[in-house]
Amino acid sequence: MNDDRKAILEMLAAGKINAEEAERLLAALEASPSSSHKGGSPPQEGIAAAKKPKYLRVLVEADEHATGLRGGPTTVNVRVPMQLLRAGVRLAGLIPAQAHEQLDKAFTQHGVPITLSQIKPENLEELIDHLGDLTVDVDGKDENKTRVRVFCE
Amino acid sequence: MIPWSAFIYVEWWTRSHRNRRFSLWIPLFLAWLLLLPLLVVLFPVVALACLFVRMNALRLYAAAWEILTGLRKTRVEVRSPAARVLVNIA
Repeated sequence: MNDDRKAILEMLAAGKINAEEAERLLAALEASPSSSHKGGSPPQEGIAAAKKPKYLRVLVEADEHATGLRGGPTTVNVRVPMQLLRAGVRLAGLIPAQAHEQLDKAFTQHGVPITLSQIKPENLEELIDHLGDLTVDVDGKDENKTRVRVFCE
Repeated sequence: MIPWSAFIYVEWWTRSHRNRRFSLWIPLFLAWLLLLPLLVVLFPVVALACLFVRMNALRLYAAAWEILTGLRKTRVEVRSPAARVLVNIA
């Protein structure tokens, strides 16, 4: 039992607050994110861990007009573990600074305008946390019915 | 944990509408066993190369290990009217 919870129960026992107020305070305590760190309430930590995405999924579905292949749609289904993304970013962080400029130039030439020096291992967890909330849906217009879905699970 | 096996499945249709398929199960654990002596030799060579380019060899080994372990449960599937390709690392 953590200190806050104990204090509320003690106030209830002392008659300083009634049962309804104690219930409201306990509910507020459980809802507050800081409470999960203080007393180490295992169920809340378990929920937080369960919510962390494990895979990045990319689903692409293109119809006959887009691919030029007759007979039905073409689908691409990719599942990439988040651990692999973490490792990739960490590896990118190991690339010597002298090589960054050349790589950035090559990426831009191939239509991927990214700056490698901006990918740092210290920003890694933040990046992956944000990927967890990411869902990208792209739907083609008119005849080009290509659907791209990027999400985490 | 490092990947233990990989499964590759390819299915395609010929012009005469005949279905052809090919599947391959690769026991990666055997590949790791075979590559182990090579890795033992490569470790000091990589460490020397890292010293030469002023890179932290331990960080490089850690990143390489992470990539290896991260490959597990990767799945790529492409399905078109003419063919289907599936690669699954387990």
